[in-house]
Amino acid sequence: MALPDDKELESIFGDAIDLTTFKQILEMDEPGDNEFSSSIVFGFFEQAEETFESMDTALSDKDLEKLSELGHFLKGSSATLGLIKVRDGCEKIQRYGKQENLDGSPEPDAAVCLERVKEALTAVKSDYEEVETGLRKFYKEDEDE
Amino acid sequence: MTSTSTTTDTSTSNDTDSSDLTSAICDLSPVPTLIVAPNYRIQRVSKGVVDAWHRGRDDFLGKDLFGALYGGSPLERFDRIPLARAIDVAVTARNFRLCHAAYTSPQGVSYSARIIPIFRRDEMLSLVLEWDEIEPKTPDIRGEVIQHALSVDEVFRLLIQAVKDYAIFLLDTRGYVATWNTGAELLKGYKKEDIVGRHFSTFYGQEDLADGKPEAELITCLREGRVQDEGWRYRQDGSRFWANVTITAIYRNGVHVGFGKVTRDLTERREAELRLIAAYEESAKLKNDFLANMSHEIRTPMHGMLSACTLLLDTNLTEDQRDTANIISESGQVLLQVINGILDYSKLASGNFSVNTDLVGVVSILTSVVRNVQMTLLPGVYIKLVLSPELPRSAQGDPLRFRQIFQNIIDNAVKFTEKGSVQVAASVSAEDATSYTILTEVTDSGIGVAEADVQNLFKPFTQLEKPTKKRYQGTGLGLSIAKSLAELLGGQMGYRPKPERNGSIFWFTVKLKKIANLDPTEALGFQQKQQTEKNQQEAEKERMLKRLKEVAPQKRILAAEDNAVNQKVLSRVLNSLGFRNTTIVSNGAEAVETLGASPNAYDLVLMDISMPVMDGFEATHKIRTLKRYIPIIAMTAYALRGDSETCLEKGMDDYISKPVNMNKLLQKLLIWLDSPEWSNSSTNGPP
Repeated sequence: MALPDDKELESIFGDAIDLTTFKQILEMDEPGDNEFSSSIVFGFFEQAEETFESMDTALSDKDLEKLSELGHFLKGSSATLGLIKVRDGCEKIQRYGKQENLDGSPEPDAAVCLERVKEALTAVKSDYEEVETGLRKFYKEDEDE
Repeated sequence: MTSTSTTTDTSTSNDTDSSDLTSAICDLSPVPTLIVAPNYRIQRVSKGVVDAWHRGRDDFLGKDLFGALYGGSPLERFDRIPLARAIDVAVTARNFRLCHAAYTSPQGVSYSARIIPIFRRDEMLSLVLEWDEIEPKTPDIRGEVIQHALSVDEVFRLLIQAVKDYAIFLLDTRGYVATWNTGAELLKGYKKEDIVGRHFSTFYGQEDLADGKPEAELITCLREGRVQDEGWRYRQDGSRFWANVTITAIYRNGVHVGFGKVTRDLTERREAELRLIAAYEESAKLKNDFLANMSHEIRTPMHGMLSACTLLLDTNLTEDQRDTANIISESGQVLLQVINGILDYSKLASGNFSVNTDLVGVVSILTSVVRNVQMTLLPGVYIKLVLSPELPRSAQGDPLRFRQIFQNIIDNAVKFTEKGSVQVAASVSAEDATSYTILTEVTDSGIGVAEADVQNLFKPFTQLEKPTKKRYQGTGLGLSIAKSLAELLGGQMGYRPKPERNGSIFWFTVKLKKIANLDPTEALGFQQKQQTEKNQQEAEKERMLKRLKEVAPQKRILAAEDNAVNQKVLSRVLNSLGFRNTTIVSNGAEAVETLGASPNAYDLVLMDISMPVMDGFEATHKIRTLKRYIPIIAMTAYALRGDSETCLEKGMDDYISKPVNMNKLLQKLLIWLDSPEWSNSSTNGPP
């Protein structure tokens, strides 16, 4: 498939995706199919859903350290795909999990941090769902072509 | 006529024939001659007087000498002084005297008088005054100098000699002192006999001598005719004074004969100046330091407070508490703006504000600011942007400052406009071969500015109070900063009231340089040039890619990365770059283990920093304890500055930020895997 132009991608993903980064992934596909990029993207979906589950568990265990690790983990892959909203949400979870505010200053109150993580997690899940729908649509349409 | 008869009578009584003859001779003499009695009555007038001066005998005969000569002149009192003095001298000496330029005829010709006193024993019988016409030599100075019976040279010599406040002296062609005046003696302390024949560089300090200043001054003087300088000079006793020196090259008949040097002592003025400058600089520095320090010191806790407030707002608050917290947050934001404004202002005031040169897209900046400001419009206010079609697509200037100026005045316009509209119009107000002047006008339908307040608009720390209306937030620095910035960018800023209805028009201009070779007919050429540059970059990339693909198959890479998605992408990237032997492990411990087992199996390590089990830093530390050196490139999360420095401190060789950009990775891999020649010739080498 030919590389989609920026307008088309923008119309699907809005500001949820960093186009430069995502296009870099698309460019790795062999000409004519998108096997590689879709495998990455769908791999990410699995990873994200697993991670969100682990985060939910860690949240009910009030395990901030685990939450921070998980945030960092998903931050890495979402950044690689250019899913910047998800990436930013994960960064928040990582920070608050480390008992830090977003500017890096310490936040000693664990209860506050847990509350923050909870909010961030809700937000990041919804951001994820949005971009997931977009990506699924994107690959679905390609298959139809 | 009485006197004539008296004279005649007197002479008749002696020797009638000879007396008649003498009188006749005198009367008929062609030389202008007056015979004057001791009481200064004129007794006889020669034909020469009548012919030369075109005056009748009756003007003179029996009249007072001075009255006849100078009567009617507005300066009679002064005119008579030289002649009266000369007559006194002649009479006292009983000998003839010359009085230079004693009389000016009605035709404007000057005559000198030869005064001949005639004595018989101790009695003076009469004075004979014979007049000679003076040949005018140099018409310019005739009036000034010659009538004083002094030569020009003498006058000047005396004048210069007598001046006490200026050292005036001559140097010969090589700079040796040739003359000396009283002023020079008083100023420099040398007596004439001490200094004449010595070189003028004697007056200069060691530093000036080492710099070759005296000779440089003479050379400049010969080239330009004169030279002026201020600086320290030294007296005979070694003390110094602040001198203002003028050296003039002197020529006689086109031949250089020496230098004239005039020196003034300005020590007192200089010291006063230095005191003033020092006091001013000190106070300006104190003020700016104070402002900068204070701003900085205030900003730190402000940030803390604002973040805390944001957190507070995120908690469960009652309506009242939320309102209060919102007030804290908003006030804090305003305060932060004030402080940032003061920082900018202190930088502007101390001249530390730097202007960058970059491409300025006037249209895109204006559009983007207007788009942002749209969010802050009060309900019912609309904004309109009018861009003249001749605005340059891009030009050179400081885009950030341009944006800042525009942001400032449009913020103001929006703030003060409660209903109606804000209109922005931009056009090219002037254009020459190298630059555009861009005029931006912001017209609002807000409250406007009272006439009396207009002059204070751009003064720093001024907020125009409107006691009857609500107080507007702001720093009172915005317009002042914007104006200074506009001036820094070669433009101006101003205000005028809106002619119809309420509102203000603020305008500013900035000068933007044209991009070389970019006039309308060559715009296409510019695009081509951009295209060429882009092509060159592409070509460079191609070249690097080609080279890496040659090298890659022989190189083995170990990558440590914990995230499966990232592992997959990284492996694909490396594959597409031509690497065939790539091992990917999931944490630092595995990396250390792999390398420890087969130290020679890899040529380079790509190391994620934050990994479970063992992070990248620790892994690097362990790898460095192994015998064999291997380059390690850190892959740092997109996060903070300073991370990269930490990587180098921790023993890594280089770093690349995540998510990994293909081109960056390409560069870094080439640098560390290819031969040194490549990295030397590469234009994109490490910083």
